Amino acid sequence: MSRLTFRAGSILALVLIASYITAANFVPKEQRQQSEFWPDDGIRLGLDLQGGIHWVVGVQIDEAVQHELEFLRDGLLETLSDQGIEGQTIVAEDGRLQISNIPPASLEAIQAAAAAVGSLRAVSDSPEPGAYELTDEWSQEIRERTMAQVLEVLRRRIDDPVRGIPDSVVTRQGDDRVLVQIPGGQIDRSRARALLKSTGFLEFKIVLDNAESEALLRARYPDGIAEEHEISVERDGETEQVVAAYLLRKAPDITGDYLDDARLSWDQQQRPLVSFRFNPEGGRIFGDLTSENIGNQLAIILDENVYSAPVIRSRISTNGQIEGRYTVQQAADLAVVLRAGALSVPVVIEEERSVGPALGQDSIESGTRASLTGFSLVLIFTAFYYRLSGLYACIALMFNLVLLAGVMSLFEATLTLPGIAGLVLTVGMAVDANVIIFERIREELRAGKTPRTAVAIGFQKATWTVLDANITTLITALILFEFGTGPIKGFAVTLSIGILTSVFAALVVTRTAFMLYPGGRSVSQLSI
Amino acid sequence: MPFEIIPSGTNIDFIGRGKLCATLSAGLILISLAMIPVQGIRLGVDFAGGSEMQVRFEPGVTADEGMIRSALAETDVVADPSVVRFGDVSSREFLIKFKGGEDVVSGAGGEVEEPGEGSGSATASVDRVQMIEAVLSEGIGPLTVQRVDFVGPRVGAELRSDGLWALFWASLAILVYVTIRFSSRFAPGAVVAVFHDLLVTSGIFVILGLEFDLRVLAALLAIIGYSLNDTIIIYDRIRENMALRTKAALPEVLNQSVNQTLSRTVLTSGTTLTALFCLYFLGGEVIRPFAFAMLIGVAVGTYSSIYIAAPLLLLLEGESGEGFAGRKDAATS
Repeated sequence: MSRLTFRAGSILALVLIASYITAANFVPKEQRQQSEFWPDDGIRLGLDLQGGIHWVVGVQIDEAVQHELEFLRDGLLETLSDQGIEGQTIVAEDGRLQISNIPPASLEAIQAAAAAVGSLRAVSDSPEPGAYELTDEWSQEIRERTMAQVLEVLRRRIDDPVRGIPDSVVTRQGDDRVLVQIPGGQIDRSRARALLKSTGFLEFKIVLDNAESEALLRARYPDGIAEEHEISVERDGETEQVVAAYLLRKAPDITGDYLDDARLSWDQQQRPLVSFRFNPEGGRIFGDLTSENIGNQLAIILDENVYSAPVIRSRISTNGQIEGRYTVQQAADLAVVLRAGALSVPVVIEEERSVGPALGQDSIESGTRASLTGFSLVLIFTAFYYRLSGLYACIALMFNLVLLAGVMSLFEATLTLPGIAGLVLTVGMAVDANVIIFERIREELRAGKTPRTAVAIGFQKATWTVLDANITTLITALILFEFGTGPIKGFAVTLSIGILTSVFAALVVTRTAFMLYPGGRSVSQLSI
Repeated sequence: MPFEIIPSGTNIDFIGRGKLCATLSAGLILISLAMIPVQGIRLGVDFAGGSEMQVRFEPGVTADEGMIRSALAETDVVADPSVVRFGDVSSREFLIKFKGGEDVVSGAGGEVEEPGEGSGSATASVDRVQMIEAVLSEGIGPLTVQRVDFVGPRVGAELRSDGLWALFWASLAILVYVTIRFSSRFAPGAVVAVFHDLLVTSGIFVILGLEFDLRVLAALLAIIGYSLNDTIIIYDRIRENMALRTKAALPEVLNQSVNQTLSRTVLTSGTTLTALFCLYFLGGEVIRPFAFAMLIGVAVGTYSSIYIAAPLLLLLEGESGEGFAGRKDAATS
């Protein structure tokens, strides 16, 4: 008897602990974290329930390889021209450096120069000589470095603990992807998108010539513009109309790499603008540039677009400002992007799952309604069909749900809408274990066994059947967890935990109930 | 007296109807195969790629599918969008689906390229969702975007292959488990029963022209688990009865086992279907495709474990010629 008391007591203690952990989910988070009484952790709501933005962002990492190849090409050209070898062309494309038009006399010298670059190797299967690619190690190094840099910049823009968006998450996913999750309706989707997608590459260039449109500007150069020059346009922030076109050098005079800080501020008319500060080295370069070009226009270019091109009135060293036609929000976001630094390669959104807070709330409500109704119907049916034993099953089912919620809270599992579906399915299927056992007991009773023996044999014979049946479902749930993404993973989570708790509830909780009553008593009838 | 749905002592000749049911199932599978060229297998945004946005107009705004379509047709934001009302006729919610979404556009020219192929750093990209929102709020009335699902071509291809792998691994794992737990004699029957359920459920989706997406895939995997669960319980009983009644003919043992487990089969499907109906009717639009697939799957799974799984055992035994110990003649006669 004392063993039985211990058994029943342990189950009760387990359920009480689970109830306590589960109850904490209903306490507001701040209160929970301040209080000594409640645990800090709890079930997390998936973005499909609390609303939010889920992005899988592809990093265009091949661009980094291309940049590296261009860098190596320039170095190689310089080395060759120092040796007086000229006439060849070197093109960087498709992940390769292709040297062509090689004068026969300088073939060996060129090959030697290329071989001297440690990070290059000759492409062995190339039909013509002179094809080089990055070594595997170096290519890997470049990719890793680029991913680390992109991740760092996006973190500073989005999930910075101080200035970022609260509770947002930026994590690496695989070789060339970043997962961005921004919960709740705290940021407008298009604003978030601008924060994410702005490459943040800031350049300053002296304006060589300007006109009202690109066509007018081009008309001035009937022979075409020089190869080292390019034309960039300035657009009105609201109408997107081109307001000016500028002839600029391709190479920037100074870039945003030297920026120390950027912040939102205001001009005399209280219009928002972004003011910035260079570091000492940047200040020196900028000071020289501005003092040499007083009276000229300086184009401020972000991501290939000219934002403004003020005339340089005097020497400026460390402090400057970017005037555009911004709203306060745009200026503030631009300051964040500048402060966080430039992405070394562009990023592309490859997958999006965004849910508005209203729909999330709807889903919570309808999910709760469906689960509660399903749960009640199953309870009523079970109690009606199996009477006292049915009540046992109902108690086991309730314990089951409390344990399920407790385990999920403990592991800080994420509850998603498919997760709620998994819960409903668990409720439907959890009864199964009890049904298997009860039907077996009924059969034994019909075969003329006494209630006590029938219960014992029923549990004994049904145990493996229950395990078999649930292990198969568990296997598929685990495979779904492995292959599933996002909300679907939530289904696998509730289903797998639900299976474990259901088996426990049926084989241990219901069993203990039978041990308590009728237990050792010799009753003539079993209410089943 | 206990309350019983299936009275004890029920003895329905399920095995005798095996052939009829096998024909029925085969017919259904054939029809769905024949429908594939007609209807095509419709893949949702998850697998086919593209965008799906759910919009809700503010109260008082009159909107219908036609208005949305013509508002969008006047612009060149998206080509050939599909627009359906979400929920009942009075609902102000619509689901707009279109190809592409977050396309990379080269800087000046505005030529659309596939994402990932954008060359050089001179790329900007258009956000079609935002453009549609602007077009609709200007042309029809104020609205909010409730949900955006966008799957790019690369992710779509990955989800497709992951989905197929998941189905493959699940089937393989199940086969291994059944082979370990039961003899290799039972395993093929269980696996055929599972495939039967998957094929028939998918077939019904094809015939009804419903879309396959991640939610449906999750349901299919859950169906694998459920269907096998059902089959295993019957096979467990068959194994037990075969040990007890070594003299009886195989069809008789099979029939007896199916009948003995019948009330369990019916009750469990009953509670599971009850819970699923609640999910289908009360769980909201987003989860409905999942609930629907599960409802069909559980119904088909129940049918197959009664009418297909056990007769299948007879068929497999008869053809393999080995027979159960001492019962070969009875089984094949």
